[in-house]
Amino acid sequence: MKQRGANLHCSIVIPVYNEEENVEILYKSIKDVMDRLDNTYEIIFVDDGSTDNTFTALKGLHETDRNVKVIKFRGNFGQSAAMAAGFEAAQGKVVISMDGDLQNDPQDIPNLLQKLDEGYDVVSGWRKNRKDKFLVRKIPSKIANKLICSITKVKLHDTGCSLKAYRAEIIKRITLYGELHRFIPALAKIEGAKIAEIVVNHHPRKFGKSKYNLTRTFKVIMDLTTLNFLMKYLHKPLQFFGAIGILLNVLGIVTLFWIACRLLIYKFPVIQLNILITVAFLLLAGGVQFFFFGLVTDLIVETGTRKRLYLLENYRSVE
Amino acid sequence: MKSQHTTESVKFPKISAIVTLLNLEDSVEQIYSSLSQTLEAYGEDFEIVFIDDGSVDGTFTKLSQIADKDARTKVIKMRSTFGEASAVDAGLKATRGDIIIYFTGRVRIDPKDIPALLQKLKAGNDLVIGWRSPRRDSRLNQVVSKLFNYIVRNISKLKLHDVNSGILVTKRSVLERIPLYGNLNNFIPLLASRQGYNVAEEKIGQLAGTFRQSRYVKEYLQRFLDIITVIFLSNYSKKPLHFLGFVGAIFVIVGLGINIYLFIYRIFQFGGIAGRPLLLLGVLLLMIGIQMISIGLIGEMIIFTHAGEIKEYNIEKIIGYSGE
Repeated sequence: MKQRGANLHCSIVIPVYNEEENVEILYKSIKDVMDRLDNTYEIIFVDDGSTDNTFTALKGLHETDRNVKVIKFRGNFGQSAAMAAGFEAAQGKVVISMDGDLQNDPQDIPNLLQKLDEGYDVVSGWRKNRKDKFLVRKIPSKIANKLICSITKVKLHDTGCSLKAYRAEIIKRITLYGELHRFIPALAKIEGAKIAEIVVNHHPRKFGKSKYNLTRTFKVIMDLTTLNFLMKYLHKPLQFFGAIGILLNVLGIVTLFWIACRLLIYKFPVIQLNILITVAFLLLAGGVQFFFFGLVTDLIVETGTRKRLYLLENYRSVE
Repeated sequence: MKSQHTTESVKFPKISAIVTLLNLEDSVEQIYSSLSQTLEAYGEDFEIVFIDDGSVDGTFTKLSQIADKDARTKVIKMRSTFGEASAVDAGLKATRGDIIIYFTGRVRIDPKDIPALLQKLKAGNDLVIGWRSPRRDSRLNQVVSKLFNYIVRNISKLKLHDVNSGILVTKRSVLERIPLYGNLNNFIPLLASRQGYNVAEEKIGQLAGTFRQSRYVKEYLQRFLDIITVIFLSNYSKKPLHFLGFVGAIFVIVGLGINIYLFIYRIFQFGGIAGRPLLLLGVLLLMIGIQMISIGLIGEMIIFTHAGEIKEYNIEKIIGYSGE
């Protein structure tokens, strides 16, 4: 397997879910572009448990063209899982991801590759002229982008665009789970990648239904919280939990001081301050607990990420 | 791996029955004879593995007598009681059949109904769970089980009536993909369905009997802790913050609300708040909320730092990579 992939240049990973009308058109337009490029390539379709004839169509494509490879999931595991499986199977030096619904244009692939050659590790597409419904897709997407940008500090106009190109060394080290595919640029940044973006075409949807829904907002916010936390504190979690601990302890001490004043100066009876005293002790106990949280997380990072850090240095020196 | 498969698959029986037993010396004979008769009548090659999960009565002696007489049976004796999940795991490792019948001796199912389960498996399912009906165990057992299954049905996408019946029929490849430890043996159908396998149920009769009719209160309480397991298995296993963040946020919002109210109350001199229990509640809720979110973040961190080991998908087929 390794020898076969050794001189493969480009792997195109396409997650598909119930796209039977689209896959063949998509394949043809990719083939058009790639054949002009004079690079070796493979197209990996990941069938995420389609319930229509997508898999049969893909099998047909593989039979006519050995550059087409198909991974079929047993059930519907989501886009992150599909992309993860595709990235793991990819053998090219460059990996390109795109949507299976024809909204991305394969004509942009040469530009992505060119930008990658300028020395970037990740090149993201920017759908400057989105052909989607304004209210339900464009507006939420704009807000989400602003939010993601400001939190992850990755300056991209359109992180949600699936059309992206990566160096294999970077993408192979990113493990996608849950719904992390939305945040690949941020995850790449954690790995130390240089990120650029170029404007790409965007077509309206021709066949099939859009699989987007608005109810995921909460999950996205939670994932962003996680990412924000990981990007800032992955290597120094004690600073995060320690800060909360200090804050609670200070509050506790101030409250105690306040109680002391009341007792000694204003001669309040203790019975009237019972509740406040409990609050002060509660704050102090909580504060101490957060310090222990910090220590435990330090331990987790210490035992968990050592391998990753080592790889990171290794990668840079190979470059 | 492939060459081994072609030469050795002939030698191994097609069906492996894994039966776990704990202190059941009185019913060993009966389970063995009815099971072996049923499987003989079914017609496929089979083997039976009894796992004695650390019995302290004569279960093992009886089992070894059976194994001496019948070459199709094996007995595994655990050094002490390690629980169902470990027993199934040991049984799985000791057998070679492609089709696995697993049941625990405790549930007193009628083996005569097993062929019905096997038929349903053949009809295109990857796992068929027995649905004990009509039930003949104690009333309390039935009520607790009904309630438990009702809750599980509402939480998970699977609509099963008896998710932890203790009898199931499946393929080896399915069980090998499922982590078996702790109490997870109660949730094999849910775990299989999460991996994308087709899960179905089929009614199976229960024998009227006398042994271990009632369980301990501890076990009933365990059932309800298990529900939390189901929630996590169904929704949040790789994303602890999705759950803990949600619960934590509610606590924080309520706590903040109380504290803001008290703050306004104090500022506008409606009165002192130092003696009001509401203050304690507000601070407590706020802190518990922050703590939950923190624990969620710690969970996320554990998963992220071990991300290399995560595989959230199950591949059915790969076309094009001939090397694999």
